[in-house]
Order: sequence, then C-alpha cells, then structure tokens
Amino acid sequence: MKKVLAVVRREFVERVRTKAFVISTVLVPVFMVAMVVLPALMMSGGDRASRIALVDASTTSLGQAVSRTLAAEKLGHGSDTKARYTVQVFPAAGGDLATVRDGLVGKTGFSGKKHKDGWDGVMVLTDDTLASGKLDYYGGNVGSPEAMAKLQRAVSSALAGVRLGKSGVDQALVKQAMAPADMDTTKVSDGKLTGQSGQESFMIAYFMGFILYISILIYGQQTMTSVIEEKTSRIMEVLTSSLTPFQMLLGKVLGVGLAGLAQMAIWGGSVFVLSSQRMPLAGMFGMSADAAQSFPIPSMPAGLLVVFLLYFALGFLLYGALYAAVGAVCNTIQETQQYAIFITMFIIVGFFAVFALIKDPTGDLGVTMSYIPFFAPFTMPVRWSLASVPPLELALSLGLMVVALLACVWLAAKIYRTGILMYGKKPTWRELWRWVRA
Amino acid sequence: MAAASVRIESVTKRFSGHTAVNRLSMEIAAGGIFGLLGPNGAGKSTTIRLIMGILEPDEGKIVLFDSPHGSRALSQRIGYLPEERGLYKKMKVLDHLIFLGETKGIGRAEARKRAQAWLERLGVSDWALKKVEDLSKGMQQKVQFAGALLHEPELVILDEPFSGLDPVNAQVMKDIVVAIAAEGRTVLFSTHVMEQAERMCDRIAIIARGEMVVNGTVAQVKEDFGGRHVALGFTHDKARAANILADTALVAHVDDYGASAELQMADGADPEQLLAALVREGVGLRRFEVVEPSLHAIFIAKVGAEAATAHAQAGVAA
Repeated sequence: MKKVLAVVRREFVERVRTKAFVISTVLVPVFMVAMVVLPALMMSGGDRASRIALVDASTTSLGQAVSRTLAAEKLGHGSDTKARYTVQVFPAAGGDLATVRDGLVGKTGFSGKKHKDGWDGVMVLTDDTLASGKLDYYGGNVGSPEAMAKLQRAVSSALAGVRLGKSGVDQALVKQAMAPADMDTTKVSDGKLTGQSGQESFMIAYFMGFILYISILIYGQQTMTSVIEEKTSRIMEVLTSSLTPFQMLLGKVLGVGLAGLAQMAIWGGSVFVLSSQRMPLAGMFGMSADAAQSFPIPSMPAGLLVVFLLYFALGFLLYGALYAAVGAVCNTIQETQQYAIFITMFIIVGFFAVFALIKDPTGDLGVTMSYIPFFAPFTMPVRWSLASVPPLELALSLGLMVVALLACVWLAAKIYRTGILMYGKKPTWRELWRWVRA
Repeated sequence: MAAASVRIESVTKRFSGHTAVNRLSMEIAAGGIFGLLGPNGAGKSTTIRLIMGILEPDEGKIVLFDSPHGSRALSQRIGYLPEERGLYKKMKVLDHLIFLGETKGIGRAEARKRAQAWLERLGVSDWALKKVEDLSKGMQQKVQFAGALLHEPELVILDEPFSGLDPVNAQVMKDIVVAIAAEGRTVLFSTHVMEQAERMCDRIAIIARGEMVVNGTVAQVKEDFGGRHVALGFTHDKARAANILADTALVAHVDDYGASAELQMADGADPEQLLAALVREGVGLRRFEVVEPSLHAIFIAKVGAEAATAHAQAGVAA
C-alpha cells in the first residue's frame, strides 16, 4: 500500500507541476467567462429598446391599434421595466406608400445611426394585413430570431384584437381573453417539491453528463499516454522489479485521476464563484443585469452534488483503468486508436443514455443502465436528479462500480504484466485472451 | 560458504521460434563479484531478466536466497540496473531517486537522506534539482546506478554497468562495485568486456547461444583451459615474425593486436624455441612473457565461432 501511495504521489506531483497543467487550469476559467459573456453580449441586441416606424397604408387606421399594443410591450423584469418599442405611425394613403416607406428605410439600420430620427425597423401595414395577416418589416435586426419572434407575437395579438373588435366583441373582453398564459414548472421528487424548475433539472442532467464525458476523454487519454510513456522510457523494467503491475497501474490510475479531479475542483470552484458574482461581472463587461440573468446557472441540491461527485470520481477512475489497459496493450500512441475506440463507444452510449433517461427516468432502460458500471456514472446521477432512487439501489450500483474498477485495474495489470516486454510487437486478440488467463 | 544468492536450475526461455536461454544451470554464491560473460545475443540480459522475475522461464526454476518467494517479494534485498536505461525524463534527479527508494520500501525522509549521500558520492550533487533530461547520458547512468543501490541490497544485479561510460566514470563505478563486494554483499554483472571481468570478478560464467560454456573461479577457468601462452610486444621488424607465428609446429593459435600478440604454444613446443627463432630472425621485441591465458583468449577460443555468427541475429533480444 505504501508503494502504491509512492506511485500515486509521483504521478500526481509530476502532473500538477507541468506547465500544461498550470496553463490549462488558469485558462479554462477565463475561457468560461468568455463563453458566458460573449453570447450574452451578442444576444443582448435583441433585448434592447427599438424604434419602429409604422407605415399605415390601411383604410381602417390599423396603425393605431398595432401601435398601442407594441407600446404596451415591456422590456425587463420586476420594477425596472421600460417600453420595449418606441413607435411612430406614418399614415400613407393610396400611392404615397412607396415614397413614405423608402424615405423611412433610408434612415434605418446602419444609416439610421447617422440620423437623429433613425429607425431600427420599418413595418408596413395594409388592408391586406388585417384580412390575411400579411405584412412587411424592414429592419437592421431581422437576423435576431428572438427579436423577430417577439415582434411578430405582438403584432399577431394586435391583429387578433382588431378582428375581434370588428366582429363586435367588447374591447375589455378582448383584452381579458388575450392575456397570455405564464407557466412556471416545478419538479416533484419523492412526493416533495424540490424547488427546481423543469428546465433546471434538464440543464443539470445534461451538464453532469457532459462534464463527465469531456473529462473522461481528456484524462483517460492521459492515463493511457502515461502507461505508454513508461514503456518507451524503459523505466518499467526497474519498476517491475520492485512493484507488482497491479500496484503500478492502480497508482497510475489514481494519481492521474487525482490530478484531473483536482483540476476539475478548481474549475468547479471558479464556476461557483463566477455564478455567485455574475452581477458585478456583468457590470464589468457592460452587460445589462437582464442579459446576465438570461444565462441560467442552475443550483444543485446538496444530495445530488454528493451523488454526482461520487459517481464522477468512480467513473473517472474506472475509465482511467480501461484506458490504462489499452496503454498496456500498445506500444505507441498511434496503435492505441483502434483499441481506444471501444472505450469511446462506451462513453458515447453512456452519454446518450442520459437523453433517453431524461424522457423516462423510471423506465427499465434507465434502471438497468444505472447498474452497469460503465454507464452508471452517466445515468445514476441523472436518475437521482429526475426521480427518487432507493438508497439500497444506490449502494448496490456504487458497490458494483468499485468492483468493476478493481477488476479493470487487475485486468490491465494482467495484460501489462505480459505485454510489458513485448516491444514493437502488437498482440492479437487471441494472445490478449491468453495473457489475461495466464 | 554461505548459501547461494541465486540458483538457476535448468532454465529454458524461448521467444517466438528462438531459444534465448537453453537448459542453463548455475549458482551464484553469496559474497563476491560474479561476472556473466558472453557475446552479443548470448542470452545474458534474458538470464538477468529471468532472475529479476521480469520474464518467466518456460522450463526450470530460479531460486533466490534459498527462499520460496519470487524476486518481487524479495525486491528489498535486490538492486537492479537494467541494460535498457530508463528514467522519468521530466523528473528532478533527487525526486526520482527518492521515488525509486520508496518503491523499494524505504521511508521518504530516509530515502531523501540516502539519495543526497549517493549524489554526493557520485559527484552529481550539483544536479540534484535539475531535470533528468538535462543530464548527460553518463550522468543519467550514474543516477540510475545510485537508484539501484539506494536501499543497500545484499544482491546487486548490473546489466552491462560500464557500457557507455568514460574511463573516469567507469573507474568511479568500479570502485563502488568493489566496495559493495568488500562489504560481503553479492554483485552479479554482465559484460562482454573481458579485461574488466578478468580484473574484477571472483567467479565467472561464459554463456553463448543461451548455453553455459565455462563456469567457475577465474583461476579455475584459466587452469582448465590449459596450454602455454606467450605474450609478445613488438618494437620493429614485426613482419619478419610472420613465418614463425604461422608455424603450426610451434604455435597453435595467435591473437594479433598489431603492436602486440598473444599466442598459444602448440603441444610439445617450448617458449624458448620460439624466443630463439624470433631473435634469430631479428624481430625487435619489447616483451616476451610466458603468461596465463587471458579471459579474452579463452572467450575467443570458446565462443569465437558463435560470436561471429551472432551478429546475424543482432537486434534479437540480447
């Protein structure tokens, strides 16, 4: 055991000391900030007040009705709201339409910035609009689907109101009937409210799967590379004379794994700090508080966090052991590709199982997969977050994973033991089987 | 006599279609320096790897310290310098030695102390905090040598310990090997440099093609080889000696080194006859001495033919 610790320490310390480790540890949080800030900055275009010129070529002064509805649209939440649209109606009866419209379009978009009375967009309403719902909009912001959808929704409701009014329905009644539904979703777990919204549950499940997926791919490969490095540097001839292959590989898997987990912990910590400080941060980047809010960072219940971390660590090490076995078979990085693909397939199946599970958390498929050690790290935390899992089932699944981890290291050690001095010769599958049985 | 450190009993090891070690038996007694000699591809390294338990014998068995356990269980008592030198390139020298000590079961603090002492002794203490990859090949070899000895093993196994070292460093290593033997510990080393083995070893074994050729103390091996040998040193007119040296009634075998030669007298011929003949021809002599056969001569005579053909197999695991 002392020897395993010596190997663990070596792997950990040597890895953490490298420049690559330090740089990636620092750069990833910076990258995360950029990832959050940049899209929010880019999307914030759809979330600012816009000036709209309403060209009314209708004979029923449709412009007034639409203008009223648009003016009632609010931007922002709570107390600090303001009007989303500033609207001005330009009547254009008969043949004036083209002249009025082109004049306004000339002051729209980029060129609009040069004029004091520039516009973000020009909307053209005709008699046809009321009948068929057809209307034209010319603007600099047509590329933002979000902004367009909002605008279209507002116009639709204005048109519906006018149509109902024309059919003799009382305006007050119309207003009441048109009030939008506002649904808040809350997840129920174990007969109790969890306080999470449905969207948050999905986000968490997806997030957990994704983190595991990425980190296994990155660090698993490192374990594999490290085993191969040992072979090419020929150091293992000295090591095999004092350590058993099991000790060597267990130390390696744990050491590389711990270095990875330490880095993850730093990253996780910075996500936590970032999300708790997102308001001041948003201010720093000149973003509205509204834009910062629009990027949801879901909070994780403590129980789920513990389950996730347990499965994360075990899954991480289990796949590390599998990668170590691949490293034991091969002599060069290139050679590993054809074997590593099988591991990648496991990971991908596990990751996509998450999506099936989100749809049906209590189904047979999900339950079965949360017992299979290779898939459990993906599926079990998701199951836990979406439905209640009996403690006994959790313990069984965790136990199976520990057994599988040790079995994998044992298997890898068997292969390593025999493959270790086979420089430059690739074993066949039959030979591999013989080594395992030896 | 103390118990045997290593006992190899009729061991055979085959690699795909090629027998590296063939029914080899030998015993390495505790204490002293044992030389394992042989041409390239003779099976020296394979034999050592078998002793270290890195390879498993196909037949026969190997017993260490008369113990039923394998080398890994006994690894605290064994130090090993493999032929393929390997260290973690990115590690600092001192850290590396501490790690090697730890894998042999020494505590961290103790390992650090011993590592520093060894670096001092080998004259590389200035490099303790440098990375291994910054060291020259020779220095790396010294570091690995220290790593093999850090835990003060009672059996030290060195595979080609002096290859690739300059004379000064080879001298340092030789002194350490001799000092270890003087403490009553056992050293087993392989080499194909006969002069070195001849000067250092108490006992030797010469193997070729995985089989034992000669085995015993150096004196015994020489005595068994028999014959009368003469060492010659020439000053001038060496060409005039050609006919005499070619005379099979006088000389059985010649090893010509240019300025000197070692030869084995033919049966029944006298060294005096040879000297008289050389003087008569006017060959300038710097040295004329009746000597014991050198290990080199024995080696060439015993495995010469095999050594020549072994080159064809160069690249096969030595």
